[in-house]
Amino acid sequence: MDATFINLMRDPAGVPFFPVVFQGLYILTWALHAAFVLLALGALGLSLYGSTKQKTDSNWKIFNPHLIMTGKISVSMLILLGIAPLLFTQVIYDSGWYVANTLSGAFVFIFVYALIAGYMMYYWYSSANKKSNGGTLIGLISFVILVFCGILMHNFAVESISPDKWQEWYAPNGVIDNSGLNFHIDIIRLAFMVSLTIPVVGIFMQNYSDFLSTRKDFSSEYLTFVKNLGTKLAVVGLLISAVLFVVWMLQVGLLFHPVVLATIVSVVILLLLAMRNKNSYVTTGILVVVALFISGVRELIRYNIMSGLGYDLYGYPMNLEWETIIMFLLTFVILGFTGIAFILTMAWKIGKREGVFDASKDVAVTRLANVTLAIFVIWIVVYFAWGMVALFKNTL
Amino acid sequence: MEMLGLYPVFYFPNYGSAWLMGLTGTIHIMASHTSVGAGLLFAFLAHKAYKEDRPELYDYMKRYGMFLLIFSYVIGSITGPGIWYTATAASPRGISALIHNFVWVWATEWVFFIYEVIGVFALIYFIDKVDRKTHLKLTYTFAIASVGTLALIIGIISFMMWPGNDAYYNTGSASDAFFGVNTFPHMFLRIGFMIMMSGIIGMIISSSMKKENLSLSKELTQKMGIVSLLGGFLTLLSFMWYIMTLPVNAHAILGITLDSIIMNRIILSILFSVYFGIAIFKPQWISRTLAITMMFVIGIAGVWPGEKLRESMRKPYVAGQYIYSNNIISRDVPGKGIKNEVPLLAANGYLKMDPWVPTRLRTITPENKLEVGKMLVTRACSNCHSLEKYGSYRPMMGLVGKIAQDEAGIKSYIKNVIGTGSSPYMPKIALPDEEYDAMAAWIATQAK
Repeated sequence: MDATFINLMRDPAGVPFFPVVFQGLYILTWALHAAFVLLALGALGLSLYGSTKQKTDSNWKIFNPHLIMTGKISVSMLILLGIAPLLFTQVIYDSGWYVANTLSGAFVFIFVYALIAGYMMYYWYSSANKKSNGGTLIGLISFVILVFCGILMHNFAVESISPDKWQEWYAPNGVIDNSGLNFHIDIIRLAFMVSLTIPVVGIFMQNYSDFLSTRKDFSSEYLTFVKNLGTKLAVVGLLISAVLFVVWMLQVGLLFHPVVLATIVSVVILLLLAMRNKNSYVTTGILVVVALFISGVRELIRYNIMSGLGYDLYGYPMNLEWETIIMFLLTFVILGFTGIAFILTMAWKIGKREGVFDASKDVAVTRLANVTLAIFVIWIVVYFAWGMVALFKNTL
Repeated sequence: MEMLGLYPVFYFPNYGSAWLMGLTGTIHIMASHTSVGAGLLFAFLAHKAYKEDRPELYDYMKRYGMFLLIFSYVIGSITGPGIWYTATAASPRGISALIHNFVWVWATEWVFFIYEVIGVFALIYFIDKVDRKTHLKLTYTFAIASVGTLALIIGIISFMMWPGNDAYYNTGSASDAFFGVNTFPHMFLRIGFMIMMSGIIGMIISSSMKKENLSLSKELTQKMGIVSLLGGFLTLLSFMWYIMTLPVNAHAILGITLDSIIMNRIILSILFSVYFGIAIFKPQWISRTLAITMMFVIGIAGVWPGEKLRESMRKPYVAGQYIYSNNIISRDVPGKGIKNEVPLLAANGYLKMDPWVPTRLRTITPENKLEVGKMLVTRACSNCHSLEKYGSYRPMMGLVGKIAQDEAGIKSYIKNVIGTGSSPYMPKIALPDEEYDAMAAWIATQAK
């Protein structure tokens, strides 16, 4: 397999903007997606343990429903945030992604329906836990299905960066296999990714404890219990992840690459901050940095493999598309940031107090609400005006 | 010689891979249309509850919201990217064309989608936790965000049918591709259906409230009946408008099935109107069981045939009338520097142009002829046809039996009808003679 073959599959329409921008967006959005994958699986996994303790332990009785709710919302977030890297990878690494999807076409289909089943069962588990502290078995099945979905996604990623094996996988010994049942995993890489669920849920527990420390309806003993358990999980989990990361980097021969060394330094800082347990929000900030580095390392591996075969990512033919990129940037920056700031500010203030939050008396939330509404209305007006102009220009 | 940028072929036995996309698409449409419709309905209800000071409506919204969260957002948010995934496996070059034309539109939709999903959690879980005025503003923004997701995806799926003029082919501009002649009719067709679905789902919730509050249950069922009726009426009107904006090839398909479509629509319209009429005039007759049953009847009877028709009408193309369903580029697009691949394929054939052909099959021999034939048929035809004799979805062997009785007849049909592009809904598959021989030989063995 060489670059001629890979380049052949590049879309003849070219990319609509500079490839490096898509690469950067991919690294950023994959990191965010992965953070919620890890939190969802970590929270669900820990809640299964919690559901065996909550009948006899008062701390777990309070904490477990919150853990389940966290996981439930995280699954939604991981799906949402997974769309963006999926989009950007198809723009610049279309050959790899589409080959993987066709080689494993049957698993693509299985993935979609397994994710629906796993997530629906999560709701079932959540409901059963709320009603009778039960549903552990359903939760366990949901957990297994969601982990299976993660393994399938890992399979697609591994296949997409193995161009030297594509033809052999498609036609083993020269006999074509159209079944879409190719399945290939990299056990060390997978183990490392799965291990990260432990420190992520641990650091989340430190955040949770700090966030609720201003609430009078949560005792300090309870919050200390959650925080200490979170610290243990974060520290032990980070140590396991660090070992697996080093083994993985040895396997791919990148241990002394500057990005990898920077990742290791950031993990050590994260470990120290998690152990000190002083300000969990700072710890979370470093966790985001670590996630970005890990995402960067994944991209580095892919870039090295593809460019090693002669694939010139930055030389992908380009057809600049100004109108739609301007639409995206304005929507993302103005509407996205304002809108999300509105909901998150409101959510933060609601979570910080008991009873009803009168946001109409809160200047920041009210202003954000009004501006968000105005931006949405303007967006719709611009959309229709643009559409009418384009349509009249091209048809009259 | 430069080859074509084809991908491996994934084939799902008895159905074909495109069918998987259709199934996922139908489920997604049910869920996503309900969620956008519900977004509009929520804004209406929240407005009413706030202006008329009716706190009981918030309870209804909360219940509706939980249903919405589980049904629409869990299923809708997974099947949305799910269509994308299954489409990738079935038509990688088709989806690639859409991605490379509209990546920023999709990225913009993603921003709306984030707001929508975070918004739905806030909308439901904060009903009792934030003041009503702020909650009302949230419902307004949520409704616009929901419509925004439709506004952004509709141009892309309308382009799949056709842009409707030559502007895009000359400029390559995503804007010219996005705002084609059937974008707006298509949008209002779907908005109508969304409003109708929101009323139908609303009836499930309102009918289950009879024991707690009979008068509220009746009032809401009546309102949902009116909402559904208005939505249905908008759907019908927009459908007629939409039909007028379709390309010639779509009308060719439509012409074959027009009578049955009209009959089907009349029957459905009467059935739906009777149901909505009962909800308006005899709301107490609407039980939860009936409401759930009708949701599935309307969803399945309304969505599946509609989406199947839309997919059929698009044939022989899969995107923008420049990519065939078998992933071959069928015309020049100067604005993007895209070249027609049909003449290249006609001159050289798949065996020379397809990079995925194993070396041992690149030359036809008496020993491998049938195997080559199977490979070529799978490559050229399996996106639309199941290849087994009794396959479930457009079974090729069954159709062949109606056209030709032997290998020579099959070859003649492929070469002289499909090979010349004479069938309005089939791609032009012009190939060297020996490749037709191999295809006909394999089809003949299977069709026996």
